Amino acid sequence: MTDLSRTIENTHKPVKGRSLWTDGIRRLRKKKLVMICFWIIMFYVFIAGYVQIAEWTGSNWPANWDESTGQKYESPNSQNIFGTDIFGYSILRKVLYSTKISLKVAFFASILSIVIGVPMGAAAGYFGGFIDEVVVWIYSTLSSIPYILLILAFALVLKDKTIFGCKLAGATTVYLAIGLTSWVGICRLIRGEIIKRKESEYILAARAMGCSGGRIIFKHLLPNTFHIVIISFSLRFMSFIHAEVILSFLGLGEKNKPSWGAMIDSARLDLPKGYWWEMAAATMAIFFISLALNIFGDALRDCLDPKLKTD
Amino acid sequence: MKRIVKALTAVVLTGAVVYILYSSFRSRDNSSEDDMVIYSGIGSKIASLDPGNIGDTSSSAVASQIFECLYDYHYLKRPYQLIPKLAEDMPKVDEDRIVYTIKIKKGVYFTDDFCFDGRRRELIAEDFVYSWKRLANIKYLSRNWWIFDGRIKGLDDFREYTKSCKSMDEVDYSRPVEGLKVLDKYTLRITLTKPWPQILYLLAHLPTAPVAKEAVNYYGKSIINHPIGTGPFVLKKWNRGSYIEMVLNEGFRDEFYPSQGQEMDIKNGYLADAGKKLPFADRLFFMLIEEDPPMWFLFLQGKLDASAIPKDNFQQAIQEGQNLSEELVEKGVELKTYRNPSTYWIGFNMEDPVLGKNKPLRQAIACCIDKKHYIDLFTNNRAEMAQGFIPPLMKSYDPEITERGFHCDIERGKKLVEQAKQLNKGMLPVLTLAMPSTDVVARQYGQFYKKSFKEIGLELEIDYMDWPTYLEKMHRKDLQMFQSGWIADYPDAENFLQLFYGKNVSPGPNSFNYINAEFDKLYEEASVMPDTPERTKLYRQAQEMIIEDCPAVFLLHGVAFTLHHSWVENYKPNTFQQGLSKFRRINVEKRRAYKY
Repeated sequence: MTDLSRTIENTHKPVKGRSLWTDGIRRLRKKKLVMICFWIIMFYVFIAGYVQIAEWTGSNWPANWDESTGQKYESPNSQNIFGTDIFGYSILRKVLYSTKISLKVAFFASILSIVIGVPMGAAAGYFGGFIDEVVVWIYSTLSSIPYILLILAFALVLKDKTIFGCKLAGATTVYLAIGLTSWVGICRLIRGEIIKRKESEYILAARAMGCSGGRIIFKHLLPNTFHIVIISFSLRFMSFIHAEVILSFLGLGEKNKPSWGAMIDSARLDLPKGYWWEMAAATMAIFFISLALNIFGDALRDCLDPKLKTD
Repeated sequence: MKRIVKALTAVVLTGAVVYILYSSFRSRDNSSEDDMVIYSGIGSKIASLDPGNIGDTSSSAVASQIFECLYDYHYLKRPYQLIPKLAEDMPKVDEDRIVYTIKIKKGVYFTDDFCFDGRRRELIAEDFVYSWKRLANIKYLSRNWWIFDGRIKGLDDFREYTKSCKSMDEVDYSRPVEGLKVLDKYTLRITLTKPWPQILYLLAHLPTAPVAKEAVNYYGKSIINHPIGTGPFVLKKWNRGSYIEMVLNEGFRDEFYPSQGQEMDIKNGYLADAGKKLPFADRLFFMLIEEDPPMWFLFLQGKLDASAIPKDNFQQAIQEGQNLSEELVEKGVELKTYRNPSTYWIGFNMEDPVLGKNKPLRQAIACCIDKKHYIDLFTNNRAEMAQGFIPPLMKSYDPEITERGFHCDIERGKKLVEQAKQLNKGMLPVLTLAMPSTDVVARQYGQFYKKSFKEIGLELEIDYMDWPTYLEKMHRKDLQMFQSGWIADYPDAENFLQLFYGKNVSPGPNSFNYINAEFDKLYEEASVMPDTPERTKLYRQAQEMIIEDCPAVFLLHGVAFTLHHSWVENYKPNTFQQGLSKFRRINVEKRRAYKY
């Protein structure tokens, strides 16, 4: 009898509800590989942050990448664990410094593409009609141009231009070029999601209560589609790192400071001479962040997308 | 009906198979005949084979086998010496050094062509007058007008006249030009506007080679594809984007391999063919290979007779100490090194408010560059340190200059920077150096300069730009500092001195915008003097003036490395002479025995 009452009591114990985010994080935590990837990403972010702070505060290491730490082309050794380049600069310092450049470019480019893509997609999806036609026309036109060529064109146009008194150069040109050309994907996703949700009961209720279009979009629709933005952010972050590498390799990126692309470009000439370590260091750095972002992005999508939820 | 179709298909297929087999056998036959052929690689497409409008090295290399000039450089003698080629002798020059009388060789013929109506066409003095008027014709749009611009009496007026003509066909070439007179069939008289001793070097320059009027009229615009010259070879086939084949000009006059040279030439075997009739080769093949790696591999396979050393293969080809690697020595490859008439520098815009008026600052920059390290890093030690602008190849080069000029001296540089700060009445701003490229090598140069400037306490920003932007900014005097260089067109230091002449400021060749009345006076005096010790003295004096004023930091003089297989004989490099294939001999046995 007692046991039975206890069972009944347990059954009626109130279960704490889980939000989409809490549920997602709980699911992510269960996956060991994903958590390893997460900490790899955090490690890169920490390096980028550390280099940025070191630069602001005038600390030397590793912001002083342009100081010789050995002879030219030293192979990896105890003093220079990734070896040195043509000037005797430490490859390790260059790789660490490049992390800041690449992550900064990818971060700002992602933010820019979200700032452009999300409101445009939301407006097109919610209002439809002429606005939708204009937005669809713009992104269809943009997406019909090969991506890399489009970025190259934007980078060339923006290079050395002065906007609002600021001269665009180096990393700024790169993230503007990437951000201005890569909002199409997120715009499409948000537009589709908004079209799907705008006839939902809670939206109809909001409309019946007299809410304005802007309020419905920003207060009700976007928070419910934000997981798409997060997933897209994590997956695109990686492609933006690659885009930065490509632009730097083609000589349109940061020129006075090292970046992974510039390192690969420079190491390309050293490979036939047998100096492999700069190429190896830069590609390994790109490889680990790409792999981590890919696995983490996929897992995030699995956890946040209700259709793909599997436990 | 079906049977007919089947039969026809069978016939077509059999025919195709037979044709393929025949072609392959025929090409094999050709390859067995290839023994007396010289195979060369060219790095870029041939734009034109019309000498009047040739401006690139690949086109010049090919066209110079077909066309000849009045004068040429001696193949073996050094320092470079001019000798008559189409001219009978060296010109007679009047006392004022204004009038040149030139006798043309008799019995020189253009190669046979349809345009001559089946007759042999002899070269006459009138052909030179026609060809040079053609250069002046503005409708022809020659890129080589600079050669005669303002130099020959009345030729500029002729150019003005052509502006009034509606088309090229309307231009009357019989219109007299005061400075270009034909005294008889084989005698030409040139009257200059003022003394110009360098004219003889220009008369050895391919764009001044004679072309036949009949050929130009017959082929019209397609003359660029139909080169009709007087040289030892004639064009047989031009497969655009692939190769050019030339064969021996059967009607080529008697010309002989030189019998004199330098002392070392006998030891090096360059005089083994002395006095023998030229050319030695029957055919020439110029293969278009735009990328370095295939050029290098074809050379190693023995399919090219000679090759430069691509930067990426330098380690494979050359050992420490600048000797040929054992692998290539075993293959019988020979290395030839020779000086280039070139100087490279960091130039200062003397109109810049910071640099122009601050000599200590310019000199400080000259003290911070470690030229030896620079040469080691970027040229694989294929260069010599420069202290002045006259390269060691020139007769007027001062061997003692290596002791003077600015050497890498950081302490001296720092002191000069302090002086520069006082002169500037405060801190020095960030300086900007323009690089004419955005590629990785340019970025490496940029990093080197930044590091060097930092050592004496100067902050430097590198402005990487593409070549057209760089040129445009340079012409507009928009650059503060720039990396640049000059390769001489002829072996006379005047070609370098004019780069600092006040009347040549941008958009002219004086990109430094350097103006010094004293230097200009020296230049004006020296540039019209014949080649004498007095002139050499003036050249050196002018150079000292430049070193002291420091409108540029002179970095290096180039040294070229080239490789050839041992079966190519008489391979003596020559910086200024073109059309060298006629001197080369192929050792057939050695080529056959070569194994890759």
